[in-house]
Amino acid sequence: MAKDARDNWESPTQFVLACVSYAVGLGNVWRFPYLCQMHGGGGFLIPYLLMLLLEGVPLFYLELAIGQKMRLGSIGAWTAISPYLGGLGLASVVTSVYLCLYYNIINAWSFWYLFHSFQSILPWAACPVNSNRTGPMEECEKASPTQYFFYRETLNISPSIEKSGGIQTGQALCFLLAWVITYLFIIRGVKSTGKVVYFTATFPYVVLLIYLIRGMTLHGALNGVKYMFTPKMEELANPTTWINAATQIFFSLGLGFGSLIAFASYNQYHNNFERQAIIVSLINSGTSIFASIVTFAIYGFKATINYENCLDRTRILLLNSFNLAEDSITINNVFEMIEKLNTTFPEQFAELSNKLEDCNLENELSTAVEGTGLAFIVYSEAIKNMPLSQLWSVLYFFMLLMLGMGSMLGNITAITTPLRDFKFLSRVSNEALNGKRTKQHLEEIRLSKLWTKLPLSRCLPFIFVSLKIHLFRRPLAQCELAC
Amino acid sequence: MLGRIVFFLCLPSVLAAQLCKPNAAEGFKVRLSIKTALGDKAYEWNRNQRFLFQAAIAFAMSHHLDLEFNVSNILVCDETPRVSFWFVVTSPDDPSRLVGKESVELAVRASRGRINNILLLNDATLEFVGVLPTLAAPVKPATPSWLIVFGVVIGIVGAGIVFLLVSTVVQKKRKENEVAEEEDDDEEAQMKRTAGNEGIYNTSFSESDRNTQM
Repeated sequence: MAKDARDNWESPTQFVLACVSYAVGLGNVWRFPYLCQMHGGGGFLIPYLLMLLLEGVPLFYLELAIGQKMRLGSIGAWTAISPYLGGLGLASVVTSVYLCLYYNIINAWSFWYLFHSFQSILPWAACPVNSNRTGPMEECEKASPTQYFFYRETLNISPSIEKSGGIQTGQALCFLLAWVITYLFIIRGVKSTGKVVYFTATFPYVVLLIYLIRGMTLHGALNGVKYMFTPKMEELANPTTWINAATQIFFSLGLGFGSLIAFASYNQYHNNFERQAIIVSLINSGTSIFASIVTFAIYGFKATINYENCLDRTRILLLNSFNLAEDSITINNVFEMIEKLNTTFPEQFAELSNKLEDCNLENELSTAVEGTGLAFIVYSEAIKNMPLSQLWSVLYFFMLLMLGMGSMLGNITAITTPLRDFKFLSRVSNEALNGKRTKQHLEEIRLSKLWTKLPLSRCLPFIFVSLKIHLFRRPLAQCELAC
Repeated sequence: MLGRIVFFLCLPSVLAAQLCKPNAAEGFKVRLSIKTALGDKAYEWNRNQRFLFQAAIAFAMSHHLDLEFNVSNILVCDETPRVSFWFVVTSPDDPSRLVGKESVELAVRASRGRINNILLLNDATLEFVGVLPTLAAPVKPATPSWLIVFGVVIGIVGAGIVFLLVSTVVQKKRKENEVAEEEDDDEEAQMKRTAGNEGIYNTSFSESDRNTQM
């Protein structure tokens, strides 16, 4: 009685949640809403869903199929299909290594912001005072407090890429923490990852729901949502729209990094991954759309606040320049008063013209931001204007953290799984193997099973064909290296 | 005689009018936004409120220069519906001489908080055009608060990792002990040991059913 050398997910739910946790990441929150806005709002859903059908689901299905059938990481799985395809597996592992190295930095930023949310006044709510305490810092005045906090206090960005800014201790500590937590999550391989994904997959939805409710009740939120959903169909004629839709599907589902192969390799042999593939792809796209509603509600709120602040500044400028009583101009009649004053005091008004800002709600709404600018600057700006901003801030950055951590788990598993097929990294996971002999024995059984099961498999045709051709040729003794 | 009396009576106000004028060299423009600051509880700007303002400035000047300033030393002019006006400060010794702009500025900056409170306003709503506010020094706790949260989190995570590693080691040791105990009962091991003692193990009296299966 040989013990099963390979770990398994404790239940198919864990596998599905792991895939969801991996696929639903930061891209759903900060890339999809931007693309939606850039490519005509509701109209973007057409190329997006079409690409999901044409490339997303088939490739997702393919990766799960390979992983589950071969029960190996990406290198082993692709090599088992054909030795010439081994490079594909290797390339995906190398890509995952690069990805892991920089992805955790975003988690480090999320930690930084999360820790700084535990203060009575959020540090990005107001500019810090300058050295002689006469006003806010000059750098902060020119930009905004949120931008200052991100670029100066978080990153301490250097003027150009040639100049090295040195190590920022705060960031270094948060980065260390991000890696330590990642290690904790994968320390026992699938056993520990399987438990963690229950939380990392579901918590973001809780926060998104809370934010949806909060966002919809914010002042001016509907402006943003309306703006997003009004489709501009002429964008569909632009090939960039289709390219971006295809790219977004590809990266959002995390295809080609080897993570899905790795996750599926821990499945039970007869797991129904066909249904799971469709479920996960739909959940991923659904989350993108859900998150973009939330984002646009927040956009609308921020744009409305900025617009009203602009109007208020204009109002004060007019009051001060023309020495009118305070209640003669309100936010509502700023534009009429501008007209009136222009006609009544043209020369005085002309002097003001360079100080007068152009307040336009459409312009505010159309400033589309993506990536870190959206997540760390625009969102924190919106949060600081909400009542009880510390709570919202903590919730939001914890959600970003969960999204990022979930994706990291997939990326790390993509690296450790193929490596573990070659060597035993006992420090990273709990070894469940009883020696190499058992493993060899098992591989022989497994391959013979594959051979008999092949005509009945639901794999895509080309796997079927190449398996038949190549597996029969390779003697079982060669199994050691690449099984 | 009467003319001279009238002349001397009018002189201060005439002098005042000449000393205080918009864009005066030693004067400051003040702008109040009472309705913005107080909303419904806003008070009407009238002679009495102006008197209070003059008294506040007189206090600030006295406090800073350590001279006795009177309300009549603070001259206010050019009031607008905005509630903005210009004021100048005359020296208590010589009402026809103005106190320098820098001294006034320093005095106002030193007692800014007090003046704000007297008029129920703040730095933004009581504007002295050209005078920079003195903002409160930022409160810096001994340990930044984020470091405390960070310490807690990394402590918990570190403890978790140590716990998991230790439990792995403990489990491995336990398994090894179990395997060792099993081997003790193993017939083969027993046979080996007996062979090592230069004897032959007689299997007919062994308890295992290996050789006699029905």
